Amino acid sequence: MKSSIFHLALGAFILTASLPIHASAYTDPGSGAFVYQAAYAAVLAGTFYFRKILNRFWGRRK
Amino acid sequence: MPTASDHHSQVESRITGTFRDPAGRLVQRDGRILRVVSESGDSCARFLFTPKAEEWATQGSLIRTWRVSEPDLFTAGTTQILEHERIPFASYPYEWPAEMLHAAGTLTLRLALESLESGYSLKDATPYNILFRGPKPVFVDALSFEPREPGDATWLPYAQFLRTFLLPLLAQRHFGMELGSTLLAHRDGLEPEVVYKWCSWLKRLTPPFLGTVSMPTWMGRKEVEAKAYAPARIDPERATFVLQGLLHGLEKNLRKAAPKLAGSRWSGYLSTTALYDSSQFLAKETFVRDALNETKPARVLDVGCNEGHFSGLAAQAGASVVGIDSDPEVVGRTWRKATDEKLNILPLVVDLTRPSPATGWRNEEAASFLDRARGHFELVLALAVLHHMLVTERVPLPAALDLLGETSSKYVLLEFVSPDDPMFQRIVRGRGELYRHLTLEHFENEVRERFEIVRSTRLDGLHRWLYLLRKKDSRS
Repeated sequence: MKSSIFHLALGAFILTASLPIHASAYTDPGSGAFVYQAAYAAVLAGTFYFRKILNRFWGRRK
Repeated sequence: MPTASDHHSQVESRITGTFRDPAGRLVQRDGRILRVVSESGDSCARFLFTPKAEEWATQGSLIRTWRVSEPDLFTAGTTQILEHERIPFASYPYEWPAEMLHAAGTLTLRLALESLESGYSLKDATPYNILFRGPKPVFVDALSFEPREPGDATWLPYAQFLRTFLLPLLAQRHFGMELGSTLLAHRDGLEPEVVYKWCSWLKRLTPPFLGTVSMPTWMGRKEVEAKAYAPARIDPERATFVLQGLLHGLEKNLRKAAPKLAGSRWSGYLSTTALYDSSQFLAKETFVRDALNETKPARVLDVGCNEGHFSGLAAQAGASVVGIDSDPEVVGRTWRKATDEKLNILPLVVDLTRPSPATGWRNEEAASFLDRARGHFELVLALAVLHHMLVTERVPLPAALDLLGETSSKYVLLEFVSPDDPMFQRIVRGRGELYRHLTLEHFENEVRERFEIVRSTRLDGLHRWLYLLRKKDSRS
């Protein structure tokens, strides 16, 4: 369920961001997965420091 | 990229160069598999001698490799020669049931994740990197692990993994698309844009399709500049965290794409069709067991293996078994049985009357099933399968016997189902006239032209006979 909400939120954001601005004569059919990976990686990277802080916090409590 | 396809060169008994990966090429020499490593592959080859790779090889997850000296194979740019263990029988993704593709994908992700700890990264993720030893997947593309830039957070084979593992499995599970036709027609798998067209709006907006199909499709509508593919460098610890997250995300999606057990026309065949009563079935089993004890085959082909009952008997008798059937559902069940009971059975979705063709560049990357099978097995089991070849496929009896003889180097164990048998009459669908000539005498005459009858028996109360046959040219 958590994963569904995460994907839906990410999907809505990406869908808005990825609407074509102009029609292209050529698009690479394999490129979408690469761009998605980059976006997914960016989200993961964003959580890295957040998790680190949380881990420290929980570490201190132990 | 040297892959499972190349590994097959061992069966071809000829030297085959490899061309996709400049890191190295495979050659076969006197039945040995040798890998000539070039300068660009030297750093990848080093990984094979790290504790992690040796641990995998011991587990059986990675092909066993050792250094050898073959001075005449050295050319300009060659840095070392490696030798690999031989896998008994090469198979390709379009011959696997969904269970096996899923197991291959699971292994690929596990190795990709664990290699990060050693400072390496998996540079490609295709099912052609995997072969099966019995039911167990083995990673064979030995030069696929390259040293990783510590701050690189991109896993380049991400899209390839989607195309060749996840999307074919999702298409099979949700749209009933058989892997055989998907992967035979599309060597590089399914693009998200293709699967997107098959999805309802609900599927497009919910996992696992949202992240594996819809978002890549929407994002692919924008032009991507070449510089976007340049790896971004970030803090190494953070990069490892991101890569682990990406790979864990793929693992989660792969679990959602796991095949479900479903019924099919042939599943539960032996237990539900009441073809044999218990004493008749016991008589059949005893005949097969005795033949196995007498012939002691190292390699057995079970044609029409169904859910692997007789493949299991052969494996328990010590043989390395390849079981084939045209129904992916029963082959999947055979794989589950072999895995659970640790039986040396390689189950494949192959119809002997329409076997897998040779595929790839110049039709030389993956050999046809018949080229791999010809003469490879000391015993071929063809239990209750000949009448399907004769009636359903309309193969003439001499041609069917020739083919069974071709796949065996010594023995064939054949069940003859006569036109008086109720199952024969059911599949003949009113065309009985075509088989009026198929008497026991006619059958035995055709058999004797090719084989020596070692032993035969009638199953009591049935119009079915069992024969243990020895090829006429196999006595040595």
